Amino acid sequence: CSLLCCISALAQSNGSNPSEISGTVSSTVSGQKIAGATVMLVNNNSVATTTNNNGEFTLKLPAISGAIELLITHVGYERKQVRLQAGQTTIAIQLNDARALDEVVVTALGIKKEKKALAYAVTEVKGEEFTQAREINIANALTGKIAGVNASSLASGPGGSSRVIIRGNGSLNGDNQPLYVVNGMPIDNTTNSMPASGNGSVGLNNDRGDGIAGINPDDIEAITVLKGGTAAALYGSRASNGVIIITTKKGVKQRGIGVEYNSTLTVERPAIVPDWQYEYGSGQYAAKPIDQAQAIAYGRLSYGAKMDGSEVVQFDGVKRPYSPQKDNIKNFYRTGTTFTNTVSFLGGSDSFTWRASLSDLNNHGIVPNNKLNKKIASLSVGANLSKRISIEGYAQYNIEKSENRAGVADAAGNPNWGTYMIANTVDIRNLDPGYDANGKEVPWNAVGFASNPYFVVNKFKNNDDRNRFIGNLSIRYNILNNLFVKGRVSHDYSNFKYTGIVPTGNLYFADGYYQNYLSGITETNAELTVNYNTKIIDDLTVNVMAGGNQRRSVTDNTNLDGTGYSVPGFYDVSNVVSLTTSKALGRLRTNSVFGSVDFSYKNLLFLTASGRNDWFSTLAPQNNNIFYPSVGASFILSEAFQLPVWVNFAKIRSSLAQVGGATPIPYALNLTYSLVPGGGHDKRPLQMITNFNGANSGQLMVPNQNLKPLTSTTFEVGLEARFLNGRLSTDIAVYDRRTTNDIVRASISPSTGFNHALFNVGEMSNKGLEVLVSGFPVKNKNFNWEVSYNIAYNKNKVIRITDELSTIEADISVNRYAFIHHPEGKPYSTIMATTGLKDAKGNQVYAADGREIASPTLVDMGTGVAPLTTGITNTFNYKRLSLSFLIDGRFGGKVYSATNLYGTRMGLHKMTLPGRDGKLTVNGVDNGGNPFSKTFTPDQMWSYYNNWQVLSEKFVYSSDFVKLRQVIISYSIPVEKISFLKMQSLTLSLVGRNLAILHKEADNIDPESTFSNSNAQGFEMFGVPRTRSFGVNLMVKF
Amino acid sequence: CDKDFEEVNTNPNASTNANPDLLFSQAILKGNYVLDRTYFYTSYLGAGMYVQHFANYKDASLAGMGDKYGINDLYQGFYFTYLYPNVLENLRQCMEGAEKAGHMNKVATARIWRVLHFQRLTDLYGDVPYKNALKGYPENEFLPTYDPQSEIYDGLLTELDQAISALQAGAPTFGAADFIYQGDVAKWKKFGYSLMLRLAMRMTKIDENKARTWAQKAIAGGVIEQAADNAAVKYFNTGQVYNFNPVAYEIGAQDYKADAYGDANVEGGKFSKAFIDFLRDNNDPRLPVMAVTYNGTTPDTTSSIAKGLPSGTLNKPNNFKTFSEPNPATILRYDAPLLVLTNAEMSFLLSEAALRGWTNANTASAYFKNGIENNMRNWARFGAAGVIAEQRITDYTTAHPLNTGGSFNDQMNQIHSQFWVALLLDELECFANWRRTGYPVLTPTNAPGNQTGGVIPRRFPYLQTERSNNKTAYEAALARQGADNLLTRVWWDKQ
Repeated sequence: CSLLCCISALAQSNGSNPSEISGTVSSTVSGQKIAGATVMLVNNNSVATTTNNNGEFTLKLPAISGAIELLITHVGYERKQVRLQAGQTTIAIQLNDARALDEVVVTALGIKKEKKALAYAVTEVKGEEFTQAREINIANALTGKIAGVNASSLASGPGGSSRVIIRGNGSLNGDNQPLYVVNGMPIDNTTNSMPASGNGSVGLNNDRGDGIAGINPDDIEAITVLKGGTAAALYGSRASNGVIIITTKKGVKQRGIGVEYNSTLTVERPAIVPDWQYEYGSGQYAAKPIDQAQAIAYGRLSYGAKMDGSEVVQFDGVKRPYSPQKDNIKNFYRTGTTFTNTVSFLGGSDSFTWRASLSDLNNHGIVPNNKLNKKIASLSVGANLSKRISIEGYAQYNIEKSENRAGVADAAGNPNWGTYMIANTVDIRNLDPGYDANGKEVPWNAVGFASNPYFVVNKFKNNDDRNRFIGNLSIRYNILNNLFVKGRVSHDYSNFKYTGIVPTGNLYFADGYYQNYLSGITETNAELTVNYNTKIIDDLTVNVMAGGNQRRSVTDNTNLDGTGYSVPGFYDVSNVVSLTTSKALGRLRTNSVFGSVDFSYKNLLFLTASGRNDWFSTLAPQNNNIFYPSVGASFILSEAFQLPVWVNFAKIRSSLAQVGGATPIPYALNLTYSLVPGGGHDKRPLQMITNFNGANSGQLMVPNQNLKPLTSTTFEVGLEARFLNGRLSTDIAVYDRRTTNDIVRASISPSTGFNHALFNVGEMSNKGLEVLVSGFPVKNKNFNWEVSYNIAYNKNKVIRITDELSTIEADISVNRYAFIHHPEGKPYSTIMATTGLKDAKGNQVYAADGREIASPTLVDMGTGVAPLTTGITNTFNYKRLSLSFLIDGRFGGKVYSATNLYGTRMGLHKMTLPGRDGKLTVNGVDNGGNPFSKTFTPDQMWSYYNNWQVLSEKFVYSSDFVKLRQVIISYSIPVEKISFLKMQSLTLSLVGRNLAILHKEADNIDPESTFSNSNAQGFEMFGVPRTRSFGVNLMVKF
Repeated sequence: CDKDFEEVNTNPNASTNANPDLLFSQAILKGNYVLDRTYFYTSYLGAGMYVQHFANYKDASLAGMGDKYGINDLYQGFYFTYLYPNVLENLRQCMEGAEKAGHMNKVATARIWRVLHFQRLTDLYGDVPYKNALKGYPENEFLPTYDPQSEIYDGLLTELDQAISALQAGAPTFGAADFIYQGDVAKWKKFGYSLMLRLAMRMTKIDENKARTWAQKAIAGGVIEQAADNAAVKYFNTGQVYNFNPVAYEIGAQDYKADAYGDANVEGGKFSKAFIDFLRDNNDPRLPVMAVTYNGTTPDTTSSIAKGLPSGTLNKPNNFKTFSEPNPATILRYDAPLLVLTNAEMSFLLSEAALRGWTNANTASAYFKNGIENNMRNWARFGAAGVIAEQRITDYTTAHPLNTGGSFNDQMNQIHSQFWVALLLDELECFANWRRTGYPVLTPTNAPGNQTGGVIPRRFPYLQTERSNNKTAYEAALARQGADNLLTRVWWDKQ
């Protein structure tokens, strides 16, 4: 163990010195002897020699006093200093492979650079980290792995969207997610349907997935996360939130065809079951239902009598014991399964390499009848057509099919709502199948809007089909050895078809509703770059790059909406009574020119500068372009200075980058007028001001000719170092990111005639610290322990909005119980709640019937975005066995839980127990300021607690959590013993995701259960339960 | 580098040209609360429950907020959110376009139509943005101040006066794009004067002289007294939802579903006991026209079994099915006309004006009788089930003459109780008229969760986002008008 050697060497540095020392130099990894390594005396490089072909050396020493220290260097290996023990004359020296230091990473525009030359933070994650314990959406697998990358998977069911935020939210309501890039070129990451947080009246409120979910983890060689603004400076505005670069696997030169097969089967169960009260059963006024009508009226109320097991009538007229039903969650949700299979083939020669893969993912969600199937085929080719021309191409095609995605948030059409809120003495299975002989929804509670969960899963339809092509092709022509030109095109086209059916026979909207949309999303980029590098003088090289890009983005939507079916139960567009059709073609274009210059001096100082000018089609001609620069430096301290021996590598980096951006909303410059679809009224056409956010939304937005580009500026300083011969490494970064002139769609007073306006608003700041520490506490032949720990803190603040607005209302929860604002001086996504009205002395003000009166002022409850994120991965390898687990946590955020608010209104929450026995007394003041006191009778408890809906602050919780996110136990089967199968390797693993919540503060819910990736974070409400998954993974290589 | 950008950034699915005619057509439909829950939240669950036309068994927090005097920002703020962009801004741009084209009849017609809505808005909330409203585009004024209601009334009366004078026979009109009068200028004048009388009478409590002056001006100008002049919009039971009668569609699809048969009403709605009792006790021939009671799946119009749900009911009664609800053969017909302003309403206002001695063109009792007759006959527009035999009309008016020997208040009670029956469905007008006159005398409810201490509300609270999005103006309005609750009275609703 070299650490102990070092320490013992330091301890014994006295005695006389020998005149000569001899020894060998070899590689730590391979054990191979290293020829040509320089061995010299520290502080005296005239005393030096080199190793021979056998790695042996002999160094004659002058007469010196004190300890002898040798410095051993060789290209491709880490420098090493060794202190000799007194009287020592021979030594065996091992050098660490320095590949890690000369690590090459993929950066902006797909350009590979030495990591040490980079002026900004980059983290690379290998593809294999995503292929064992899998997430259906690859982006969710980033959770906890990278400092400063906050990936939240949403409570919207399998196939839902992701929300990945790097270094905080920079924009108040623009896209805050990173730019996703495949093989150097951007892909689309549109969220197809963002579920509404507020009252959703039609009942088709589900998340239909995003763009990144279309990438198969098995096709990924590596994911590189560029956190800083410098990355953006070359990619343009969309990269201001960071870039996630996906490099796909390529073919390799080999004999024959390589085959890889990866198969994972997991089962999923709801991870959390609410801890409701099971003392008092169904009822409203401390009594049991006496007949079927009452049983229905109390179907979602647990304010009844004390449970006593007596036979009590239920919603269906059947008498059953008045006893706790604790397993409704477990009973309604089935065991989900996800079965993923990928087979890939690869091969190649000197001039041509290729890889092809086919993948099939088949998920049966925990919500009955919910299914997802995803098939992805990919092909990657590379060819050297001549000595000077090479091409690379990548293409993938996805066929994705989803059935019955579950609704979230508001009650109508949301199967989770009733499952959570059903009275605690009713077994939910008795609601099955949810419809009667005529196909009509069976009522189980007083409000038709709170759908029967079984009716929803059996009769509603939420089906979508997505076909997607992603392709890119690049051609490189080496004009000279140090001058090349490269042309690339990429195209990402998704065709998305959705059909949503609110069936006839449902209780809240008897006519039924039909929704169908066809959405085509196209993102096309064409790029041309020229690259030249040369040595200016000795030790100083320069690389110059210049290029241009054109981006075209088109969304082409056809929407069919209608109510009523002529023939009940036949859900085809031909059968819709009142049908409207509308089309929306959204086009935008960005043209850009850019360039960069990189200097490298003596491999110890690297300088980089870049500039880009963008022209945006969505802005008025006088304001439509912006130039933005970036500069950065990287300085290798360990090359420049004599650092302590235990420091193997140290680098300091700093960069300052600016990015400009524009509104992604086309046609926002002029007011336009649309015909009301559907043929008009009384044979006359109707015209309206074009509605924003859907043809019939009734929402208008003020056009703004004066919008100018926004800018986002990031300053970063970072330190990277490796210690103790690579046993310990760290990467620390601090950054300051500011967005100014952010283009924001703000809600305004409707009395202006409009609901929204587009503004350039003041300023938002994100400041943060990121620390990554990794190391090998134990490392020997049979046993390794590797730890990687990351922690990041991001402080967000809305500095200024506009002269006119001091806050932006981002979202409103169902029934307006809680709000999310972006208030000046506070963080983005601040949860605003209602609170009790207090008199000057802080006494609660009560109404005559003993209800707390609410204050008219909303109170700030903190941000819905946790500022502190952390994760630790431990990996243990023992011979062929490996165990790895990831624990991650988030701290400092808040969540408004509508599940708990409704759980209180419905009498399920344990908070509603006091007073059921007639012993609750409230004290305060009345409206006139006089002392007030009231003791409630048990029958008043529903009315009392139901009123807590006006005190939503009671339902805002700390969203802190620590979770055991992932566990993988792998065994690599010795294939050499079954050589007739000709396998190269065979690994069998047991995998688990979201296995346990080790710490949380919110009652009854998973604090991570927000259901939308919108810019209003912090609402939890009847999402699809987060699942705990277990499974088996098999990987074979032939 | 920005070649073709203007073309790329041009919306191919819309036009940059406004057509005032087509905007006006849309403003008529939108102004009648079609779709978007406006009628449902504002008129039916709100005002209609306050005045006890309707009742439901939902609790005070949501759909029961009208019947039980609860507060619900979504429902009560909806009219404020909806009306400005979808009706008033539409009309502003319509007027702007018509004015550019020099079509002054169109400007005047749109202005009159807009007055109707501004009055509804201010009557419901009190002070609202008026002079500085609708300046989001192109002025970019995003913080409109709220005007005192007295000034809004002055403004609306002046606007009406000017618009009526601007109407000129022979000049271009909206023609067929005008779903109400097909461009008949004379009828729009009558409509204008009728609105003027509505506005004038609203001021009787706060400023009787002003009320009289404007009422007399309106009467002299000529209000709607003939059925042929009634303002009504034709609807159809085919095609788009917006072709359906908005009242029928909103309360039919949202509460009285076709297959609910009086039992599975989504929001638990029924006619209120106060309303049915009044009709039944007076042997009113309108009762079978308006209301049915379900017998199995059959709607039964027998008056003797008619029964209203007591306002303030908290839980679904076991005999819920046996309570009366809107007649599917009249009120709930998708092809029923929507009566915006009729000779019935005008007759009652004229009756009051005569009672006050402000007109002597006819007697208060004659106008009173006209009002009842007009209303009973107008029901025939709802189809065969709405036809009331002349004999029954005569019987009723004979049995219920205006008690000219009674006190002023007695007669007011009679006139405005009939107003309350006649204007069923125009709930906003009924709510305002009830607040002004106090008639009919309604017994308030006092259910758990009510926000008024058991007193019938006098207004809707403002849209609560105004607190953050238009803070200064909102606070100034509160400082002037009083707390933003259900009980603060609007200017003309003097105690």
